[in-house]
Amino acid sequence: MGKLLDEAIVSQVRDVFDNQLDKPVEILFFGRKTDCDYCEDTRQLLEEVAAVSDKLSLSMFDLDEHTETALQYHVDKAPGIVFVGRDGDQHIDYGIRMSGIPSGHEFSSLIHDLVLVSGRDSGLSQETREQLKLLKEPVHLQVFVTPT
Amino acid sequence: MVTAEMVEAMEFPDLADRFNVSGVPQTTVNDGAGTIVGAVPEEHLLQEISRALQVS
Repeated sequence: MGKLLDEAIVSQVRDVFDNQLDKPVEILFFGRKTDCDYCEDTRQLLEEVAAVSDKLSLSMFDLDEHTETALQYHVDKAPGIVFVGRDGDQHIDYGIRMSGIPSGHEFSSLIHDLVLVSGRDSGLSQETREQLKLLKEPVHLQVFVTPT
Repeated sequence: MVTAEMVEAMEFPDLADRFNVSGVPQTTVNDGAGTIVGAVPEEHLLQEISRALQVS
């Protein structure tokens, strides 16, 4: 099968990763064998991205078979992607997920998410952080996007 | 306490329809308790989160 990312893109991504990745990040991919038009492409895209830096690793799960893991990470769609900080055997979950293939504009969101999780820093302002500390109930944000 | 999920609207049309997604990006707070269309500064997002939590 051909590559999804051409050499020019890989080289740009490598530049970003070399300069901006700090601590290890694990990408958790959740696919499904049937009724998932973009699972295969998403898996391949993530494999190609993860191969660019040794600070990145990729684990693959099946939404229907690894139900406990899916539940643990609140993944209910395929393809589903979770970015976690990896510290030895520990996973640090920052609550960042993607449902659907991160192509088009969302490819840069993918790279940006990896950099954020690797830096273990949201980049939010101090005021926002203070406000968020006051939250008493869970907040789930869903940002709808289209690939073009 | 906070989870954030990018949802590709064309791959999950039922969900996009449920929240009447017409323009992107559109952000939904806690299953429709709050909605923001367009990209917004973080203060604005925080305001919408607070508002959504009060009405839910």
